[in-house]
Amino acid sequence: MIGARQGTMTMLQRLVAAAMSRDIRGFVVPGADVARAAGLDLGGAGLHLSATPRHANVLVIIAPLPAGLADAASVAYGQMPRPRAILALGSGDLGPLPDADATGPLTQAGLVTAMEDLRWVIATGSFRSDVDDYEAPTLQTRTEYTCPMHPEVVQDEPGNCPKCGMTLVLRKAAVSSHAGHAMPEKERDMPVETRVETTSAGHDHANDKGNKHGGAHDHGHAKHAVSEPLVQYTCPMHSEVISAEPGSCPKCGMFLVPADTKSEHAGHDARHGHTKHAADESPARYTCPMHPEVVQDEPGNCPKCGMTLVPVEEAVENSGHDHGAASQGHDNGSKSSHQGSHASHGNDVVIEGIEAHFMSMTDLTRDMPASEDGLKMEWIGVPFGPFFPGLPSGLRLDLTLDGDAVAGTSADSAVGLSELLHEDTTTPAAFVDQLAALSPLSPVAYSLLACLALEQAAEQSVPSSVARARIAAAERERLTSHFGWLAGFGTQAGFTWLEKRATALQLKLRVAPVIEIAALAPKITALLTRIQRTPLLKARLKGIGRLAGDDALPGPVARAGGIARDARSDDPIYTELGFTVLTATDGDALARLTQRCGEIFQSLELILKVGAIAMPEPHGIGTASGTGEAVVETPRGAARLSLTLHNGKVTAANIETPTAAHVDLIATVADGRELGDALTGIGSLDMSPWEVTA
Amino acid sequence: MTILIVLLSLAVGAYLIAVLESWAVHGRLQPARPAISALALLGRESLLARTPDRLLFETGPVLLLVAGLLAVAVIPLAPGLIITDMATGALFLNAALAYVLVALIMAGWGPNGAYGMIGGWRFLGQFVAYAMLIVMPITAVVLRAESLSTVDIVTSQSSLWNIAYQPLGFALFVAAAMGLCWLPPLDLPTAPGDLAGGVEAEYTGVRFAVLRLARMVIILALAGATVTFYLGGWLGPWLPDWAWSGIKILIVAGLMVSAGRLVPRVRETRYLELSWKLGIPLALGNIFLVGVIVLVVPI
Repeated sequence: MIGARQGTMTMLQRLVAAAMSRDIRGFVVPGADVARAAGLDLGGAGLHLSATPRHANVLVIIAPLPAGLADAASVAYGQMPRPRAILALGSGDLGPLPDADATGPLTQAGLVTAMEDLRWVIATGSFRSDVDDYEAPTLQTRTEYTCPMHPEVVQDEPGNCPKCGMTLVLRKAAVSSHAGHAMPEKERDMPVETRVETTSAGHDHANDKGNKHGGAHDHGHAKHAVSEPLVQYTCPMHSEVISAEPGSCPKCGMFLVPADTKSEHAGHDARHGHTKHAADESPARYTCPMHPEVVQDEPGNCPKCGMTLVPVEEAVENSGHDHGAASQGHDNGSKSSHQGSHASHGNDVVIEGIEAHFMSMTDLTRDMPASEDGLKMEWIGVPFGPFFPGLPSGLRLDLTLDGDAVAGTSADSAVGLSELLHEDTTTPAAFVDQLAALSPLSPVAYSLLACLALEQAAEQSVPSSVARARIAAAERERLTSHFGWLAGFGTQAGFTWLEKRATALQLKLRVAPVIEIAALAPKITALLTRIQRTPLLKARLKGIGRLAGDDALPGPVARAGGIARDARSDDPIYTELGFTVLTATDGDALARLTQRCGEIFQSLELILKVGAIAMPEPHGIGTASGTGEAVVETPRGAARLSLTLHNGKVTAANIETPTAAHVDLIATVADGRELGDALTGIGSLDMSPWEVTA
Repeated sequence: MTILIVLLSLAVGAYLIAVLESWAVHGRLQPARPAISALALLGRESLLARTPDRLLFETGPVLLLVAGLLAVAVIPLAPGLIITDMATGALFLNAALAYVLVALIMAGWGPNGAYGMIGGWRFLGQFVAYAMLIVMPITAVVLRAESLSTVDIVTSQSSLWNIAYQPLGFALFVAAAMGLCWLPPLDLPTAPGDLAGGVEAEYTGVRFAVLRLARMVIILALAGATVTFYLGGWLGPWLPDWAWSGIKILIVAGLMVSAGRLVPRVRETRYLELSWKLGIPLALGNIFLVGVIVLVVPI
């Protein structure tokens, strides 16, 4: 949208463009949590956040865009309705995305200036005619598996051909429909043809049978369609509708299906017609639509529920007249579990006017897996993240949903740790910066970790005052990190008030000197007290994501479960400051909230006791050689770093972060839970996908 | 003429509520905000999801709007200022609002997206949870008025408003009304944190504008119903009748819209549990209690 606009806009277009320039809705990549941790007050700059790219007109990118997020970001951009724009803060490559419309440094001032530019761009360029269409590169090809012998067999996953048993082979196909609309659809990325094949896959066998007989019964269309290589489409309800292309039925709007799947229904139709015919001749018996065991010779009302009885025809009586097509086409039904229970009444009870097993839940769900609640439903795989509003940014979570209950999880980080050392010989200062950049959510803790390890390797020690001031910096970060988590919880739970207050405090505290922190202390106390008293909060969190206390749990999650494990308790300076490990008891999401609130108080006390804050910097490393190891309690748990120093350069380093354990906990927390509860549980872990080691 | 006046006041009301809602969400009171947002929405592309059920996708928002407008038709703003004073007004309101469910399921299913679909199903799952708590308190109101006409219901409160006469019914009705217009903390079908917008997630541009407008109308219809049933409708001293209706409706709608920001969203299971196990027995008790009072104490 940059450059001189083409032609002139009409008055109305001008007005609408002006409105759009004042109504900026942003979708943040990688996410609001990273933006907050970087000190950006998005709301303060007039940027309203939207939960989905569909409702956004600006993609806000905190650059550089991690390689693992490039594809997802391009899809998100593709999903945004036009006119759309990109605002990039910081510097770095935007991967497959088009050039940014407005840029600025990664500071609040940079954001405000960039927003001004952006407004101008939107106000002047919204209705340009030469705007290029954008298609996310990742959506232009699609991976699918097909049978070498049966090209009509196409599925998303590897496996064997249902027709001949051969192993399916991989192929890349172009996506024909509009790219960029790949929201998690029920049948994601699948054109209509494929979709039907998948849904009817379970009935292939029946279809084949039905097909033969369908042909015999003069369903010429169906037979013809099958023998021709070209697939024809027909409506499952209106067999007279035949189309050469997929689409929907002009009569009822249903999706057209390839003609050969239709023939199963042809079998049904044949039988149906026959049923009617027989019923007209001798409607001998009557039954209740609700109680099939009630059968009598005369019309009347059901003795159980009082409903009017309807005429029945028993399959047994009828079998003599049955045509092949009818019984074959109905093959499906005679397997029904329903039938077994009513075996004493002869056979299938058929009610006039209602196709047997029409919309029978037992039939529809027979071959489907059941989750813990025993209810059989269609399972769907739904992707959440890496930009999902209720989850930490960068977390890729795929949930298998059974209705709205989680039946399976698979999670990984799109932004995990890469190589710790870019070169073999890194200077200490560069190493500290590098480690700090690893985790945008808690850079100070990691710089402190690097400093401690370096100093140990060089056998240096810092003066006690410096060590204390560093601790204060780490504690300030813990405080802001926990407020960041509270703000994230506010977003997830729709608790707008908390989201606003916690964000405001996080932004203020992030770089505040001790005096300011002391001045904010009453506000902090008031907020935390108010949180504890919030109505409905307990009901929302109690019992969610409960974890039994064991050794694998990291940081606050462990302490919320009553395990008094904290790397700080081994540090003599902390002991001097009177630090004791704080724990809660229940180990659920509520306990984690209480725990983090308690730790905020504790950090506040520690900072005020120390009275000075200094960012960690490596001291007197010189040209020393040696190995060092250090442990720091980050806001999310203990991180351990070991490194080798050679002539003042870091030659080897190995890091253990607390978040690797979080990923393993996701399944425990989410499985079998209702979707909202599962997400609350995952959110309560406060994981940082940035720190996950590959 | 009446229709015009009602529709005009509806438009004004919807605008004011939109201002309030934007204040609740963004924390700043900007009177021009809804106009700007609406204009901006009209300028944006209205995307069609990849393989939508076109009919449901297009019909959902419109049906929602129609349901809201139908419900408004039986809300009296002043004596004579009502689109249609049906003898079965209270029942009609209920029938009109039943389409909210249908419309939301359509809007959820139509775009062929998982978030929307789950949102729609959630709302279907809540159906009995809120619908019973709309109908049963209305039953108690009707008991006192001895009429289903909304005008009669208002006049029956001339000596004592129903909020004092049957406070339990009022509380249940307001809670259920908030569930019915999926306002926070009962915004489960849209839940930005769980479903990234849910039933609204796939709507953009003009279609989204219709959806938002429809929701405003439904909020106003339910606020109007609350005022009619429990807060004495247009009754009040000094000011003209229509002004009392307007003030009361705006206050109720404002409270409904802004209350949710102060608490976390209610869990789906908890909501169902409370409605079924606590709400419905309480509502039955309320009917019984009101029945006894009607028989024993003539107010």
